[in-house]
Amino acid sequence: MKNLKTKSLKLRHEANYWQGSFSAMASPCEVLMEVKDRAMAARILEAVADEARRIEQKFSRYRDDNIIYKINNAKGQPVSVDDETARLIDFSDRLYQMSEGLFDITSGVLRKVWKFDGSDKVPEFLAVSAMLDKIGWTKVQWKDQTLTMPEGMEIDLGGVGKEYAVDRCVQIARSLTDESVLVNFGGDLATTGERRNKLCWSVGRLITGKDNAVALFKLYRGAIATSGDAHRYLLKDGVRYSHVLNPKTGWSVPDAPHTVSVAAPTCVEAGMMSTLAMLQGEKARAFLELQEVDFWVD
Amino acid sequence: MQLKKIKGQMAVATCALLQAASPAANAAEAEWDVDTSLLYYSEADGRVQAAEPAIHAGRDLGDDERIDFRVVFDALTGATPNGGYATSAAQTFTTPSGDSTYVTAAGDSPLDDTFRDARVSLGADWTMSLDRMSKVVWGASLSGEIDYISMGLTAAYSQDFNNRNTTLTASLGFNNDIINPYDGVPIEFSPMRVANTGINRDGDSETKTITDFMIGVTQVVNRKTLIQLNLSLSLVDGYQNDPYKIMTVVDDPVTGLPASSFLTADDLSYVYEKRPDSRQKNILFFKAVHHLEEDVINFSYRYYSDDWGIKSHTLDLKYRYELANSYLQPHVRYYTQDAADFYRHNLVLGTDIDTAGNALIDYASHDYRLAELDTVTLGLKYGIPMGDDSEFSVRGEVISQSVNDSGVPAGQETPDLDALMLQVNYSFLW
Repeated sequence: MKNLKTKSLKLRHEANYWQGSFSAMASPCEVLMEVKDRAMAARILEAVADEARRIEQKFSRYRDDNIIYKINNAKGQPVSVDDETARLIDFSDRLYQMSEGLFDITSGVLRKVWKFDGSDKVPEFLAVSAMLDKIGWTKVQWKDQTLTMPEGMEIDLGGVGKEYAVDRCVQIARSLTDESVLVNFGGDLATTGERRNKLCWSVGRLITGKDNAVALFKLYRGAIATSGDAHRYLLKDGVRYSHVLNPKTGWSVPDAPHTVSVAAPTCVEAGMMSTLAMLQGEKARAFLELQEVDFWVD
Repeated sequence: MQLKKIKGQMAVATCALLQAASPAANAAEAEWDVDTSLLYYSEADGRVQAAEPAIHAGRDLGDDERIDFRVVFDALTGATPNGGYATSAAQTFTTPSGDSTYVTAAGDSPLDDTFRDARVSLGADWTMSLDRMSKVVWGASLSGEIDYISMGLTAAYSQDFNNRNTTLTASLGFNNDIINPYDGVPIEFSPMRVANTGINRDGDSETKTITDFMIGVTQVVNRKTLIQLNLSLSLVDGYQNDPYKIMTVVDDPVTGLPASSFLTADDLSYVYEKRPDSRQKNILFFKAVHHLEEDVINFSYRYYSDDWGIKSHTLDLKYRYELANSYLQPHVRYYTQDAADFYRHNLVLGTDIDTAGNALIDYASHDYRLAELDTVTLGLKYGIPMGDDSEFSVRGEVISQSVNDSGVPAGQETPDLDALMLQVNYSFLW
């Protein structure tokens, strides 16, 4: 409670829960806590914010003092990593296998040619093709917690980082209280457990194409994650290029939904399901139906 | 990618990612939360001055068990009213030890300035959960002063109901006190003797037992409001006199002067007080805590009555005002009580006590604490965090007490009391 202001954390009381908020990972972050006293709410909020910021610092690709920078600037030299980084890379490796290469943490370099600013600046075919040399998880050697990557390639754990942070924060909140806590980092959210009196957590979500219209997710337990961004696309000659890029071709996935939300036991599962669904383009809905998960496609 | 079901593989991969030990949760190991404070209390006009350092330390032991320890040290000096009152002539009293005298000037309220005391108090509580919804707190306390020893045991049982929105508590406490007045226990209604002519004492010590029963309910009204209601019954049995308080014996209640002669020439016209040896106290306590957006209002009301005829009301209001990185908490408290049935200004020779020294009444005391009185306390506390898990706070209070001596002739009234309290507090995790 004592450090809320120094850490730029806000805590306020709502009808029957405490609402904490702060900024991290370039997103508005929110923690809803069905705890009795302010001190406990402050304690949970502080622990969650500390963890979110820790993960952001450790895995952000925008910093020059972390393990990601070290890997991306190793110039072909092997880099050994800590346990947590290794678990995230292992997980990404499995996702790569599962998705048959559609989920690839080396695909981040494509942002150098694709700028999704709503304009018609679709990159040149050759410029995209030139990037393909620098993409491909199979070009990376990952063994014994040591990663060796050809010079010029980059990895980016941003595709799973926020969902991972949500689940980690849920674990921490669960260790601090038996009461229900909901962690929401920019629309990726998860709960520690059910609320009292069979109440649910109601979380607003923006509906694409309708300005400021908000629908509600009603969440009793588990997690919901959303992929997609209705405002990040290019439009040229009547063709909409979504920001979802296929790492195998380097090109925007045709007919990808604007947004996909998926409910799952954890935020990581929900987020990966929605990401993989987006990569299916027009088959997103079919893919999700096959998974037997609750989902929303706009 | 062919469309295929990957839900199961995804769950397994996620499990491997998240299941590993969580570093932050491990870091949150049990620590002592320690609260240290130093309190300074000062009554105006050279009356009681007290310094009180205190330390409290508690820690969670896991499995919802907790242990708490308290140590408080008090050092008191200054002058305290001896039970007499101001008269138009100087008054000479004998000190409690019986070997010296002190003189109170005409028009002054008599104070015994030999008052000194030191107290050490130790306490420990052990909280254990019976199950997720109930717990028991066992407590033990021991305190010792130069002339007083108190030993206590408590047990409190709490049960949560209604999704933990309601908590019922029942507690039982038992105290055994030993009173060892300086130079023995004064004989009730016996006169204070002229110095060095012997003292009217009977035995070295007395005892007192206190049995406390309490039932209470705490209710979460909504997410902003919590209320608490407690009912207590306290049975006190044994020696309850203040062994240092005397009463003035007068011929004429109007002049208020001590009787010109009482028993022998070595007997002063002051007798030791006498109170009943049993007392039953009933207390009703109500408290409400209401959270505003950031600030907190804390209100309580206490009603007290006992079979000595004292009824009191206490209203207490605190408002915690959150500043940018600290808080301010103004405090106001109002206390009012009626006098005890046996509270007397003086004893009249021939009516209350005969010329042979036999009391004609059962009990009497002129201790101002048993009088009809009002107390107003105004305070302000400022708290500021110092680093991650510690807080420094300073609190100041002014206390103003007035005794309503209705029917007492002018000049003989009990003086008002003004006091100042300052406390600095530092709490931290260790």
